[in-house]
Amino acid sequence: MTAQTGQVYDTGFRRYLGPREGRRRARMGVYRDGLRAALGIGRGGRAKILPWIFIGSMVVTGLVMALLAGLANRIGGEGTSAELNLPSHAQFYGTASIMMFLFAATVAPELLCSDRRSGAIYLYLVRPLTGADYAGARWLAFLSVMLAVAWLPQFVLFAGLVLGAQDTGEYLKDNWLDVPRFLAAGVVMALYVTTLALAVAAFTTRRAYAAAFLIGLFVISTAVAGGVGESLDGTAGQWASLIALSSVPVYVNDVIFGKASDFTSGSPAQLLPEYVHVLWWVLWTVGPGTVLWQKYRRLGA
Amino acid sequence: MPTILQARGLTKRYGAVTALDDADFEVGEGITGLLGSNGAGKSTAIKLFLGILSPTAGAAQVMGKEASKQPEVRARLGYSPEHDCLPSEISAAEFLTHMAEVSGLPPSHARTRAADTLRHVGLFEERYRPMGGYSTGMKQRVKLAQALVHDPVLAMLDEPTAGLDPTGREEMLGLIRKVHKEFGISLLLSTHIMGDVERTCDRIIVLDAGRVAQEGDVRSFTQETETVFIEVAERVEELLRALQARGTRAHAEGAGVAVEIAHEAEYDSVRDALVESGAPLRRLAPRRHALTDLFQRPKE
Repeated sequence: MTAQTGQVYDTGFRRYLGPREGRRRARMGVYRDGLRAALGIGRGGRAKILPWIFIGSMVVTGLVMALLAGLANRIGGEGTSAELNLPSHAQFYGTASIMMFLFAATVAPELLCSDRRSGAIYLYLVRPLTGADYAGARWLAFLSVMLAVAWLPQFVLFAGLVLGAQDTGEYLKDNWLDVPRFLAAGVVMALYVTTLALAVAAFTTRRAYAAAFLIGLFVISTAVAGGVGESLDGTAGQWASLIALSSVPVYVNDVIFGKASDFTSGSPAQLLPEYVHVLWWVLWTVGPGTVLWQKYRRLGA
Repeated sequence: MPTILQARGLTKRYGAVTALDDADFEVGEGITGLLGSNGAGKSTAIKLFLGILSPTAGAAQVMGKEASKQPEVRARLGYSPEHDCLPSEISAAEFLTHMAEVSGLPPSHARTRAADTLRHVGLFEERYRPMGGYSTGMKQRVKLAQALVHDPVLAMLDEPTAGLDPTGREEMLGLIRKVHKEFGISLLLSTHIMGDVERTCDRIIVLDAGRVAQEGDVRSFTQETETVFIEVAERVEELLRALQARGTRAHAEGAGVAVEIAHEAEYDSVRDALVESGAPLRRLAPRRHALTDLFQRPKE
């Protein structure tokens, strides 16, 4: 029998002579890690539960809406789903907004809180990127996830409606505008919830505190808006009912689709001019965005 | 020796508190110890070089650039903080790959570097385990590894032996020496443990109340500070007289005599003085100077 021979090589430490891509690569690295953190990729099983339950729920909602609308149109003929007032693209974000808020409130803090809690934030700040770069990359990562969460069920719904239509070509001709509309409304929803959730998360190292604060903010503001809005008459009631933070992007969704959704139709604020709703959304998106940027800009010199 | 870090009139004030006061010093190739008691300004100096803080006055330059104004220069620096900084739920391999990428390395290179660096710090077998389950020693190694993964010109290590048992401390000091000798990476070691500095560093910078109290080669400090303490059961006075009669610089301290050994021949004098005085010897050992001894010396 021939003895097997082999050699062990000690390669020793080798200097790195490859490319160094500086700040651009650093930002991209933080962005990619933000995506993975939001979706629980590379983390334990528990980190995956929340994001995938929410994503699954959103897609299932879109699927159920598509099946219902498709079935109604198949059985009752074209336009039956609209006659029966079954949920449509215009209605979807009103219906799904609560789920999107819950998703942002519970998952977004993971992107900021854990790095500050573990102290890993200081390892980022001593690398070729600034605090603002870090916060910007994290914001963009969660925005990407939120866009996917917002758009995916709308595409499922759209596919369902197209496939359920008796005349696909006719359906596309009549309803193609829904696609840019739901894309734009998805951007509005995602920008709002991402920025607000991350701005709140920037003030605590505990994910649970941020989630509880955000959920409380939505619930309390909605309750206060309902109570005060109904007790005050006229314009005062309309302005007061704007306080409902869960409705802010849904009003803009209504502006984009040109009709009030079920979610906002009973609110006195619906009677305010459209530009007020758009400005209110801008304020609640740019404001928290500025707070987030300022908070992290100070962390890195 | 090329200068890597340069502090010129470096001053940092936090309100009424002055953390660094017009400090001037340079750090070149090799292992430099940044020594000082708590609050001496060591961590502030490191944060100023890293650009995490901006100076109140003066400049903290890294290879001629200020990191607070040009963050790109940080791509050639490494930093291992004293405090905990490792996320518990992800593995060392994944964390190091990510840190290499955030230092500017493309993902494929980052993965290779992460595996190589973990092997060099002795964590290759454990690299896929979540870091939450690591011991203190393993965590210190990961902290060191993340400071080296992108092959920096200089890495700043803040209290790298904090929390380690004697064996772990020895291993960490061995790793630190290896990082410079075999990897060619210069180090700035911030510590208040004199023994760590003596065993690893080539140069030393002593900060006291935000000012540079001492700086120079470690060897010059240890030569100058070689003091032997002779503990005897009795006859301290007789021993002191016998030593002084032989021209040895000595003074009584409690149950013994401290002798400053300028050259090896003085050990013969110590032996002869012990015999002549008849003092029963209990212990004879070189004494490590306390940090305060260094601080009390005038700046050269």
